[in-house]
Amino acid sequence: MSRKIKDESSPILIHVVLITFTAMTIYPLLWVLTIAFSGKQSLAIALLPENPTVWDRLRAIIPFPETVSLANFIEVITEKNFLVWMGNSAIVATLTTLLGVFLSCTAAYAFSRFKFPGQRAGLMSFLVSQMFPGTLMMVPLYIIVVQWLNLGNTFWGLILVYSTIAIPFCVWMLKGYFDTIPIEIEESAIMDGASRTVIFFRIILPLAKPAISVTALFSFMAGWNEFIIASLLMEEEKMYTAPVGLKFFVGEHATQWGSFAAGSIIVSVPVVLLFMYTQKYLVSGLTAGSVKG
Amino acid sequence: MSISRNIFRVTLGLFVGGLVSAFLGYWFAEGALREKVAETRVRQGTIRAMALADLVFAEQSRAEKEKTAPGALIQFWQQRHNDVDAVRVMRLSGARLLASSFNDDLENGTPPRRLKRSEKEIYDLGQLLRANVDTNREEGNPREPEVISEELRNGRLRVSVPWFTAKNPEKAAGYVQLEVSPTITTRELAFWPVLVLALVPAFLFFIGSLILSRLVKLEHPESVLWSAMTTSVLLMIFCLLGFGNYYLIDLGQENVRFQQELAQLYTASRTSAEEGAAEFALDYETTYTNDWDVNAYRQPLRYISFDGELYIGVGTAQDTVANRLGMAFFGCSLLAIGLLVFFGLGGAARFWHIIVDYREAYIYTLPAMTGMLVLVFFPFGYGILLSFTDQTLYNTEKPLLDIWAGLNNYIEIIGDFNLIQTTEAGWSFNYQNFYWTLFITVAWTVVNVSIGVTIGLILALLLNNKNLRFKALYRGLLILPWATPNYVTALIWKGLFNREYGPINHTIQLFGGEPVAWFDSVFTSFLTGITVNGWLSFPFMMVICLGGLQSISSDMYEAARLDGANRWQQFRYITLPSLKPTLIPAVILSVVWTFNMFNVIYLVSGGEPGGSNEILITKAYKLAFQDYRYGYSAAYSTVIFLILLIYGVFQTKVSRAMESNA
Repeated sequence: MSRKIKDESSPILIHVVLITFTAMTIYPLLWVLTIAFSGKQSLAIALLPENPTVWDRLRAIIPFPETVSLANFIEVITEKNFLVWMGNSAIVATLTTLLGVFLSCTAAYAFSRFKFPGQRAGLMSFLVSQMFPGTLMMVPLYIIVVQWLNLGNTFWGLILVYSTIAIPFCVWMLKGYFDTIPIEIEESAIMDGASRTVIFFRIILPLAKPAISVTALFSFMAGWNEFIIASLLMEEEKMYTAPVGLKFFVGEHATQWGSFAAGSIIVSVPVVLLFMYTQKYLVSGLTAGSVKG
Repeated sequence: MSISRNIFRVTLGLFVGGLVSAFLGYWFAEGALREKVAETRVRQGTIRAMALADLVFAEQSRAEKEKTAPGALIQFWQQRHNDVDAVRVMRLSGARLLASSFNDDLENGTPPRRLKRSEKEIYDLGQLLRANVDTNREEGNPREPEVISEELRNGRLRVSVPWFTAKNPEKAAGYVQLEVSPTITTRELAFWPVLVLALVPAFLFFIGSLILSRLVKLEHPESVLWSAMTTSVLLMIFCLLGFGNYYLIDLGQENVRFQQELAQLYTASRTSAEEGAAEFALDYETTYTNDWDVNAYRQPLRYISFDGELYIGVGTAQDTVANRLGMAFFGCSLLAIGLLVFFGLGGAARFWHIIVDYREAYIYTLPAMTGMLVLVFFPFGYGILLSFTDQTLYNTEKPLLDIWAGLNNYIEIIGDFNLIQTTEAGWSFNYQNFYWTLFITVAWTVVNVSIGVTIGLILALLLNNKNLRFKALYRGLLILPWATPNYVTALIWKGLFNREYGPINHTIQLFGGEPVAWFDSVFTSFLTGITVNGWLSFPFMMVICLGGLQSISSDMYEAARLDGANRWQQFRYITLPSLKPTLIPAVILSVVWTFNMFNVIYLVSGGEPGGSNEILITKAYKLAFQDYRYGYSAAYSTVIFLILLIYGVFQTKVSRAMESNA
């Protein structure tokens, strides 16, 4: 296919289409960058005069601020507890990633390599759990985490919830990947006298690096981006995570678009960087299992 | 050999069943006792407070010039009763603290005085009590507590009761608050019956069967098993009966003792109230009914007569406790017998063997499964249970059985066909109706998934070219919407769609159009959702398609070209079929995710205008967290789940059928 395109259709046309799509894709992000660096709280890139000309209108669309200023960033960092919230998010997301990857890898390995009663039922139940509406779980989750486990307003409450919620998707993905790793590798290791634990940690996990990276990425994103459960479980302002805190800027009373934009960028940068870093694994990690099947 | 194995299993069953049910039963009995103690403590505080409130009533009802602050009165009351540690009398009119022996109050100034701003809590409690009394009187059905009690950390109890004046006997004039150290003596529940129930039946059975096996030789192991089972079940029932009755009788006796102590306490209060009335020359006569021993709604309990005798009612009241505890014991017994049968007939052994044989697999799945059970499946089950109740914000404390609504919520949701609303201005769609929201949700899902798959596939085809320049750059930029937190992008798009300042309206104006108020009409509002979600979701599909495309070997195209297939035929007969195994699971997942895509609708359009663009999941959220109708919202969510489940089953059936055709 690839050679085909190159042979028959003009690469310029392809580039035109791709550039158009890419421009549309990144425009909203450029817009938020513009607002963030404008130093103003308004969501207009440029204010229009009384009778705007075509150029005035064009100026209001082009995503580049009239004056470049860091005022919004400084305000976000200094005025609110923003750094505390970022720190909270970092703790929650990191521990969610560690716990989520551990839980998913062990379970996925068992589902991929062992035959045992309840295997099919377990996998099916994971799949069905993706259909559970979040709204159905929220009131019971609150009761369990806050009243029974006594983990309200703590990081551990959030970490446990996030890492569990990410399990089903990660297990399915990892199982698909583990299935593609030839079983002969393990069999020869067993011949050499290696135990299951050794095989799991020394052979399987390194081989499954792409899928595990993707699992880690998704677990991290689950912990870093979620705000509904976080606002449900966290009562004190100093325990908020960054997404919950960000909602302050676009609250019901005032919309501080400039601060919100600056805050969004600070919040997004770590996860975007991580995403870009993991990108090379994304394709193979996500689709290895299903391609084979 | 087989005889002794059966005997061993039954003995183990007796032990485990006995142990589990004994611990559970003990836990229930202890809970019942603790409940009774708490109730008795509150009653003690209430009697003391109500009696004093009557004296305050008499004192405050005096003619204006004779009226003195009840400071002396509370001093007298505290001297007469050792269990009363501190008293506070407040009057709502004028926000006055009439008398107090609380240290905090005395530090702020000697009563009688006006309450300070920092003592707002004291005033608020009075307001609450007055409001509760009013509500209960108006509704004629007591619902709000008129006696407020609170257990304090130091083992004391704080009880507040309203007091009234002769001028206005229905409106609470203020309240009397007492801090009491209740004198009820409690004792621990005996623990030995637990050990007896756990050990004795198993021991008796074991010894008995050892002796019997010496004396009698039974040929068939089958008959040995059945006779052993029958004997052991009978033995178990006998021991369970003894266990349950021991605690029931014990608790009954304990209850009578509590009542007797309360009766003495009541008589003492009565005597001192009479003496107090005489000492302070109050126009007060004790009545010939016991109006002080009341429940939280200030309704007399009628367990103790005015002269301190116990009524028959005491027994009946105990019966309700006993009935509940009896039910709990019955449940424990069923569990015990269930366990016994499970062990005795070898179920447990088989179960154990499975666990042992596959222990490696189970150990590996255990952590994830535990988490899923506690934090996903259990909340799900609990949520379904909630959907059969009428739970709202205001009755969360009530047990679920008390607010059981059966299928009412479901009938209200599914049985409501009022799709058209006729008003004076004409007719319109009823956007609150379930079927409208379902229609919007289905339209939303279908359009979004189609857009996602189409754009994703097109871009993947374009990018799947080894010699394309800047390929990594394009891919990196195109994937950005997926990488950005979606609540951030949703809010960005809300800004882009802003009517006055949003770049989208500027662009329209640039080409001479009129600015659009995007969230004011059903269609444009729907369009905003589609745009945002399309933008958010195509990168996932693109990545999936790229993965699928990379796995197709170029030989197939080579061969097709030799056969003279044109590009469309190659796409139709090679690319699409090879992509299917990758795409179908991704489409199913994406349908489920889009169906429940909360953030976009909630943050961008908020379901505007008038809730017409709400999808099922945002509607369920608003029902729970804006209307606080937890039960109804749970039913709504359950319907969502059922729709998705039916879709999932249907989709797998269809794709399987397609596979077998191919």
